[in-house]
Amino acid sequence: MKTDEFLRQVTALPGVTGNERAAAEFIAEAFRPFVDEVKITALNSVIAHKKGNGPKVLICAHLDEIGMMVSKIEKDGTLRMQSVGGVDPRVLPGMRVRVFARDGMLMGVVGATPPHLMREADRKNNYTFETLFVDLGLPAEEVEKKVCIGDTVCFESRYVELKNGRVSTKTVDDRGCVAIMLRAAELLQKMHHEADLYFVSTCQEEIGSYGAMTCAFDVDPDFGVAFDVCHAETPGAPRLYTSKIDSLVASKGPFLHPYLVKKLETAAKEHGVQLQTAIDPRWTSTDADELSLVRNGVPSVLMSLPIKYMHTNVETFDMHALMEGGRLLAHYLSEMDASWEEELWT
Amino acid sequence: MLLDTLKKVLAVYGPTGKEENVADCVKKMLEGKADSFRTDAMGNLIVEKKGWEDGKTIMFSAHMDHIGLVVTDIEDEGYLRVTSVGGVSVAMSKTRHVVFANGVEGVVVCQPTKGETETLAHLFVDIGAEDKADALTKVQLGDVCVYAPDCFMLGEHRIASPAMDDRCAVALLTELLCEIENPKNTIVGVFSTQEEVGLRGATVAAYSVNPDLGVALDVTGWGDTPEVKLPAVKLGKGAAVKFMDRSMVATPCVRDALMAAAEKAGVPYQREVLPYGGTDGAAIQHSRGGVPAGTLSIPCRYVHSACEVIDMRDMESALSILKTFVNMEF
Amino acid sequence: MDLKTLCEMNGVSGDEKEIRKAIIEQAKPLCDSVKIDRMGNVIAFKKGKKGTSHILFSAHMDEVGFIIMDATEDGLLVFRPVGGIDPRVCVSKYVVIGEKKVKGVIGAMAIHLQSREDMKRVLPFDNLYIDIGAKSKDEALGECPPGTFAYFDSAYETFGDGFVVSKALDDRVGCYNMLRLMEETYDADVTYAFVVQEEVGCRGAAGAGFAADADTVIVLEGTTAGDMGDANPVQSICNAGKGVVVSFMDGASIANNELYRDMMALAEKENIPHQAKRGATGGNDAGAYQRSAAGKKTCVLSVPCRYIHGPSSVMKMSDMENQFALAQAFARQA
Repeated sequence: MKTDEFLRQVTALPGVTGNERAAAEFIAEAFRPFVDEVKITALNSVIAHKKGNGPKVLICAHLDEIGMMVSKIEKDGTLRMQSVGGVDPRVLPGMRVRVFARDGMLMGVVGATPPHLMREADRKNNYTFETLFVDLGLPAEEVEKKVCIGDTVCFESRYVELKNGRVSTKTVDDRGCVAIMLRAAELLQKMHHEADLYFVSTCQEEIGSYGAMTCAFDVDPDFGVAFDVCHAETPGAPRLYTSKIDSLVASKGPFLHPYLVKKLETAAKEHGVQLQTAIDPRWTSTDADELSLVRNGVPSVLMSLPIKYMHTNVETFDMHALMEGGRLLAHYLSEMDASWEEELWT
Repeated sequence: MLLDTLKKVLAVYGPTGKEENVADCVKKMLEGKADSFRTDAMGNLIVEKKGWEDGKTIMFSAHMDHIGLVVTDIEDEGYLRVTSVGGVSVAMSKTRHVVFANGVEGVVVCQPTKGETETLAHLFVDIGAEDKADALTKVQLGDVCVYAPDCFMLGEHRIASPAMDDRCAVALLTELLCEIENPKNTIVGVFSTQEEVGLRGATVAAYSVNPDLGVALDVTGWGDTPEVKLPAVKLGKGAAVKFMDRSMVATPCVRDALMAAAEKAGVPYQREVLPYGGTDGAAIQHSRGGVPAGTLSIPCRYVHSACEVIDMRDMESALSILKTFVNMEF
Repeated sequence: MDLKTLCEMNGVSGDEKEIRKAIIEQAKPLCDSVKIDRMGNVIAFKKGKKGTSHILFSAHMDEVGFIIMDATEDGLLVFRPVGGIDPRVCVSKYVVIGEKKVKGVIGAMAIHLQSREDMKRVLPFDNLYIDIGAKSKDEALGECPPGTFAYFDSAYETFGDGFVVSKALDDRVGCYNMLRLMEETYDADVTYAFVVQEEVGCRGAAGAGFAADADTVIVLEGTTAGDMGDANPVQSICNAGKGVVVSFMDGASIANNELYRDMMALAEKENIPHQAKRGATGGNDAGAYQRSAAGKKTCVLSVPCRYIHGPSSVMKMSDMENQFALAQAFARQA
């Protein structure tokens, strides 16, 4: 499957944190042609193993997405929602959402008391999860029959191709990076690699990187390569914490291994891939934080795909940056060998 | 009997970090009724009841500890300065009757704050000491006091106590282990420590038990008193199957099995989506390579106060669910 | 190696290369095995005469410091702290940057140019810069590229009545005492873990704990002493000069009850000046050890340090000696 087609399909799938099965199954099938073994773990991470005889490397990007859960059904049949992961309720009013109920998907609209009926003072306040609700267009008794507390609610999704290879869709965070891994796995079909590669699409990143933590325990790798999204420049955003949208970013900081970062920079230079630098003085707020701590520790690097409008249904990225990311990853992995372990601390 | 067991465990001193008495009490009740007992470095009591050969290993966790106040310093005049062990509310502690492990009693008092927000630093405990030296004959730095044990019925079904979180689950797990004969799945009952400071006991217990799946037993919030609407959980409507809280999203297969067990047992249950809190279920789920895990909750009003209220009908519902659950195919 | 040398070496969390190398050199002749684990911790093992029990001593090698983020067009380095540093202690301090040890000073706008409002405000890291004398962004970043670590440039000195002032006393004092402890062979097997990344979340200890065989862990630390100035006596935590601090509880762990009691009794018996930590705040590697793998018994012995996490933390030598004495007494009876 072509990368853009994979993205078009995978970003449309629901995979809210903790309930990622549908996305996991699709991703497992996508990796299957390029690797030796694929499995879905008990918590819905996907581990795709491409065998090698060298050091064991775990590459990960998360497949879960932020979303909501039905927390209460009101007497009039509207649904109250609770956020799963960091959802900004201000993006919700007027959004068409999908409720995954027992017998199938229901379309709903996020509504709220209209401004006309609000006091002047209240109009200045943002909508919150307390004031927003989902309207399913069904009578209350039908809702009672169809929907349960705990049902998943998922963002609206549309794959929009903008100018200059920019694409806007839901869940680029972080299935865009899953696509980078997939592309690298495909390229490695025709490349030599010594390393024993585990491409892991992790679950539950949005509430604490539990997928990365548990998969890394399972795999017990020698090195870790984490992928996530970072912020691309937008008007007014602090420059220190944003990057240009047109190329990948490698992070440096106490949680990341300086030797592995240096090797990554060298690979980028050799193969003519543009690579920006970001500094994380402490936690990276990605799977890298937990991945690097598993068992006796996993020396790790972090690469990021810059996107705009993170944690919304219109996350926007640059397709060229993404494809180049796949190319860089493939070269980086193909160059890893046993000598790297010896040089880690010298 | 569930109520008798509950009353027994409610009466025992056992704040976070000092759970030995609770462990002893539970162990005594389970003597001869389980295949093995062990206590680990964190003080968890781990009780095993073997299942059939083809069964799975299920870890249940109920935490023995509850919140308290630890003595951090003693004033020259004999007043004790304290800070919280677990989430103790200043407002709920004012003028509370408290008791230490050795039986020394005290009253928690909040000094005048001159307009500042009241914090734990404004609290002191008056144990009736003449001065510091006198106080030191009764209490040492590091000693912990708890709201004095108390237990009374509210109406026919409800019961109030300062230690309900999570002794009601300790009672539940004890009863399960007592009553169940020859279960299909192996039951590892973990009476865990230090939950209130971050699931610390269950974290290491889950690692050493290495179960196939896990269920935490804990209290949850309530949404049925004036101006409290969430979670959509009511007392007396059955045990609650957790979907999520701040610590985890329950693994779908476990949460569905708990609901199926309730249906099969023919007892009422509720679905719980909690906007706050966390349980040992998270510690189990995130252990090692990932363990399918969920939580069965007892709805409890006024959690972390001196009068935490539950409904015995929800306890009965929970016990029925668990008895069915341990015999299910996984 | 003396404490001065250890303190003056650099090793911000994540950049412990220099201090690691020095510690390995010291430990090698004294221990049966010395290795670097996957976190970058130094794990030294010394077989006991009887080997009936196994204890682990731990101290962290890393210190708080800074990391270069970027530079302004006119050549000032933009930086952020690594670990907990109060921006109020940073203004007009000397720093050195990176392996090349480029000299710099932390500057802020002169008070003459600050508005009255500005002068009341705590200057955040956004308003602080490291000046290395560079004339342009390219020159600054050429010398000190983003990701380079920086340190307080601060000498070790003795002063007053047996006091020491230095950077990084937290926790080179623990490292120093561990290097002294390993000069003796005890009945018990002893692992000495010199761990990384304590100041950014006790990360080294988490890895060391997972791989450790010992089930009893004694952490040697430096801890906050608020015994001078206007601090409320009930919030002073501990006093410099009053002996080694034994913690019953802090934000990260509750000491094993038995171990805490034994430690206090041992100090009493051996006449080693000691004090219980009067507070339950803060946190250290004991938390990470306690919850690693199937769990461990932990207890923390600390040296009171005033003005911790700055260029001039202060401790009393006698407290360090008492930390050593109690740790050694414990090792001898283990």
